[in-house]
Amino acid sequence: MRIFENHISRIMRAEKYCRVPIAGFGVVGGIALTVLLGVTVAEVFWRYVLNDSLIWAEDLSTMSLTVVVSAAIAYGAGEGAHVCMNLIARIWGRPITKVTDVIARLLGVGVTAMAAFALFVHGSCGLSCGAVTSSVSIPHPPFYFVLGVSLVVYGLLLVSQAALGLASWNSEDPNEPPE
Amino acid sequence: MIDSIGITLVAFGVLLVLLFIRMPAGLAMLIVGAAGVILIRPTAAVPVVAGEIFAVASRYPLTILPLFILMGNLAVVSGMSQDIYQAAHTWFGRFRGSLAAASIVACAGFSALSGSSLAAAMTMGRVSLPEMKRYKYDDSLATGAIAAGGTLGILIPPSAGLVIYGIITEESIGRLFMAGVIPGILLTFLFVFIVWLVVRLSPHKAPRVKTSIPWRENLRITARAFWVLCIVIVTIGGIYAGIFSAVEAAGVGALLTLIVALGRRRLNRKTLTETVHATLKASGTAFLVLLGAFVFKVFLGFTGIAFVASEWVAEQGFSGAQIAAIVLLMFVVLGTFLDGFAMLVLTVPLVQPILESLGVDMIWFGIMIVITLEMGLISPPVGLNIFVVKGVAPEVPVHKMFRGIIPFWLAMGLALILIALMPSLATLLPNAMYG
Repeated sequence: MRIFENHISRIMRAEKYCRVPIAGFGVVGGIALTVLLGVTVAEVFWRYVLNDSLIWAEDLSTMSLTVVVSAAIAYGAGEGAHVCMNLIARIWGRPITKVTDVIARLLGVGVTAMAAFALFVHGSCGLSCGAVTSSVSIPHPPFYFVLGVSLVVYGLLLVSQAALGLASWNSEDPNEPPE
Repeated sequence: MIDSIGITLVAFGVLLVLLFIRMPAGLAMLIVGAAGVILIRPTAAVPVVAGEIFAVASRYPLTILPLFILMGNLAVVSGMSQDIYQAAHTWFGRFRGSLAAASIVACAGFSALSGSSLAAAMTMGRVSLPEMKRYKYDDSLATGAIAAGGTLGILIPPSAGLVIYGIITEESIGRLFMAGVIPGILLTFLFVFIVWLVVRLSPHKAPRVKTSIPWRENLRITARAFWVLCIVIVTIGGIYAGIFSAVEAAGVGALLTLIVALGRRRLNRKTLTETVHATLKASGTAFLVLLGAFVFKVFLGFTGIAFVASEWVAEQGFSGAQIAAIVLLMFVVLGTFLDGFAMLVLTVPLVQPILESLGVDMIWFGIMIVITLEMGLISPPVGLNIFVVKGVAPEVPVHKMFRGIIPFWLAMGLALILIALMPSLATLLPNAMYG
């Protein structure tokens, strides 16, 4: 643990850098949420006021949702919002959680990396796999990639948090999950 | 047969261990689901993981979630949450225990704008706990009423719990929303009755509030809450009348709340950013669990456990009601230490085929299961609503809060029994609407 403790300021800086793309996802998510709201309302307006339908509305909604979800997952990770069961801390406290947290975070890194890899590989298939929306043929690949990037960012954050957990071995973990 | 049972048991065991070591529920289900798929059909791993993640993230009915979450957050910013509480207070003002009863009614009203129990408990806790403290209400009654009232958030439509249940079971979300209306009102009445009962048995827990509000002021406060009523009528009424789909109702509801917030000049750069970020945070929480759940669901499908379990249940001769009762009882127990959403997405894919094969109405069952989730939200040791209220009232010991919760928890049990005996309480509205 000494090696991590000696580099705690660097690790903290690395964690701070991980939060830059998360903040970016916060902005992108806000824009996508606005688009989602706008398209949903426009669809109702067109149908009831203009007696017409927007054939592109559902396609645009679903793709906006993909961006909202990507942003929400990365942003939620940065805010420690993802649901976890906090029983172990109440039973055994920091002496045990400092070990289990590192294991959980490293496993999290593994699964986010694997899922991101799957999204990049599957998303790359693109048009040859018929990966387009049903009405106005919006290609899926960019949205697979956004989801993949979101998981990569989450994974990187977990790496830095695992390192920070090791660096704070003899003190409180700054990323302690909330109650 | 033994293989599929063995694999499933090991998978659930590993999952519980991962959850126990504080791995986020979504990631835990993703890792077990993906590992299971790799073990059973290695070549399917990449398409299943990527395909399921993308399918959840681009599922049109799920646009409801961020839009209704946005609506709830905008309702907080616009001050509508305070309006509901003040209006409820003026209506109940003359009675002993009025502040606690008003908190519950306000939670129910706020629940019609927000699908989240935690948001309802937190928002109403901030508004009403200081008032109850000022009038020297007993801490256990005050915090118990808020924590229990907050749980109405996942029953009264729009409900995030019902949306997730609808997505997993492929039931109509509009139907589920309608099914939640009468049980939501029933539970609100039961909670208010509990307040009345507690105060009648122990009058010292709620001193009489001697406030006389002039009728003109009373009218003004009630009129201020009129917007809330309008939005609820447009969204929920719109779904009921078949004017809007649930997705469209979410969009229109969010727009109307935005207009109210803008009209009241409550939106500025700071509050708008906070609203968007709070929406992303809450959406991220729900969607990560869903992503993991859908990969896990495919893995369960590969094991064939649902088929094996259905056959076993048929061999034993269990009825639908018996299995539903066992599952609900299991949910009450699991709810004491597992997160409600995680529990929902973990177990429903497993029990759905069994219940359907026995002819259980999945709309009715959805309402029953959401009430048991509500019970979990206020059950020790991990009742999330309790800890949310604890955040608002840090000076009140948790054991005191749990003591205050007990009568409300029993009321939920009573609601379950009533809906089990009279399923039409849940099915009447959806049947009247959809036939």
